[in-house]
Amino acid sequence: MSINFQQIYVQVKDIGQGARERRLQKEQAQSTARRLLERYADELDFLRAKVEAARAADPTLRCACPLNETLASSYPPPASLSPAVLLAADGSQINPDRHAAVQFCLINVGAIVLRGGSGAAPEIHTHSQLLYGEELETQTGTMTERLVALRRDLKERSLLEELSRDMKGAVVTFTDGPIELWGGRDGEDARAYQDALQSYLSLLSRMQARGVVTAGYVDKPSANLVVRLLEIASSDGGQDSLSNLRGVSDRWLYGEKTAPLLPPGHRSAVFGLQSRAEKEYQGRLALCFFYLNVGAEGHPWPVRVEIPRWVAEDAQKLDLLHAALVEQCRMMGSRPYPYLLHRAHEVAVVGLEEKYQVEQMLIQELRRQEQEVDHGSYKQSAKNLPGRTRR
Amino acid sequence: MTPIEIGRLLRAGTTGFVAGCRVSQLTVPAFGALVRAPLEDGYQIYGLIYDIHIEDDGLVRQLVTAEAISDEVMRDNRERRIVPVEMSALAVGYEQGGQIFHLLPPRPPLSLDVLYSCSQSELGRFVKAGRFGYFRHILNAKDIPVSEVLSAHIQQVRDVTQDQAWVEAAIHEIISLLRDDYPALMSVLGALSDVTV
Repeated sequence: MSINFQQIYVQVKDIGQGARERRLQKEQAQSTARRLLERYADELDFLRAKVEAARAADPTLRCACPLNETLASSYPPPASLSPAVLLAADGSQINPDRHAAVQFCLINVGAIVLRGGSGAAPEIHTHSQLLYGEELETQTGTMTERLVALRRDLKERSLLEELSRDMKGAVVTFTDGPIELWGGRDGEDARAYQDALQSYLSLLSRMQARGVVTAGYVDKPSANLVVRLLEIASSDGGQDSLSNLRGVSDRWLYGEKTAPLLPPGHRSAVFGLQSRAEKEYQGRLALCFFYLNVGAEGHPWPVRVEIPRWVAEDAQKLDLLHAALVEQCRMMGSRPYPYLLHRAHEVAVVGLEEKYQVEQMLIQELRRQEQEVDHGSYKQSAKNLPGRTRR
Repeated sequence: MTPIEIGRLLRAGTTGFVAGCRVSQLTVPAFGALVRAPLEDGYQIYGLIYDIHIEDDGLVRQLVTAEAISDEVMRDNRERRIVPVEMSALAVGYEQGGQIFHLLPPRPPLSLDVLYSCSQSELGRFVKAGRFGYFRHILNAKDIPVSEVLSAHIQQVRDVTQDQAWVEAAIHEIISLLRDDYPALMSVLGALSDVTV
């Protein structure tokens, strides 16, 4: 037993005692947020000006910026749409492990293609890349977990772009998480990030040119972009007013249990995403998002869907994406999540057993070539010892 | 005639074995059917299917709560996802050197050995070898629906061979084997009455 449960017990009781007070504060902030939403719902020019002023003061500002739909607007899923080809991708990796006997990493990306209305079984594609030796060296040192994640994310998107190349008709692609490429913007991985970003922007442009819809699906989003917008709208420029909605989330705003802004299947207004990335994602590649309630009556579940501006500005493409995501989520029954994203995850995920197999394959091959193979660290060896269990 | 492959072996013991197959292969094997697992040098093991089992998983459990499932998702789960249909077979005999024995096999089949459905002639050849020795394995088996397996098997033999004399001899043999176990005999005869009517 490694946890001191006596100490934890006392701390848990303290948390419980403060719960009522926190709830009252939160309810007050929630009420303020609703009032602000109603007050500024139609004042799009005013809101855009406030965001612009706030951005000038803080270039790292991250919030929603209204486009041309009012803040509280809600749109039902389109009644019927012609079938589209849907593609989803997800990735998994084996990170470099300095305690292992042999140094390597692996990027595994799975994609699934479903041709709507065809009645055919979906196609499955897997791309596995093993990185070893010099491939693990970067200009500033060795491959980091952040760099592996960056390459994995880029491969997910590039695989979707490759697969969608020769497809005719309506094509919708999506990945799990934001469509913005994350990780390594600053610090020692900055150069690698810039290289990856340029590749990503160019593949986004190619998808735009072909009219392929692309989106990032963020389940249980934690960023409070619209709440932040309301804070900015109500601020007088001072810092104090910026925290008056602490505890209120975008998820609550759009998915409040008793009176959600979005009925089941409805999407919110589309917003621009104000962030540091706006310098990189420009013009029709600019980042936008909307909230979508994929839940059922009495069980709202708002998710954030990120899209490039070329999708946001094309009503037909937006409707297609909206309908496809609602349909995909409904397939999963009581816990809505896009079916294809889950399947892409199943295809891509790398388990511990597979990691061990790849490691053994590498070791055997190196030994066959009479190469010296190191041992795993003694620290790791000690950790792997079977522990004593208590009944 | 090309033998019909119905699956590959997952695990085995002396008294029985379990095979897995794709959902697309599921039209062939049937409860009570005789199957064979050819190994090497004319040695093959015979089994009677007593259970066909379809495992679920987390995704399938979730999908059943959805209002509708599209054809594409149905086929994805049946053809692309790795959820094999499991068939359990009771070992009822083996063949070696061209001769059939209604005894437990000397060695079980190995992982991934192919299982075939027995053809009309193979079924006739197996059931008419010896004097119903394999009934002993069925009647002694624990945790299998003995009455149902026996009646399904006899029904299959009757349908395939049209040999009523064999059916009557088989029933007499069962009565003889179960003469000291009245409840079991009644249970088997009850099931058989549905077959022989």
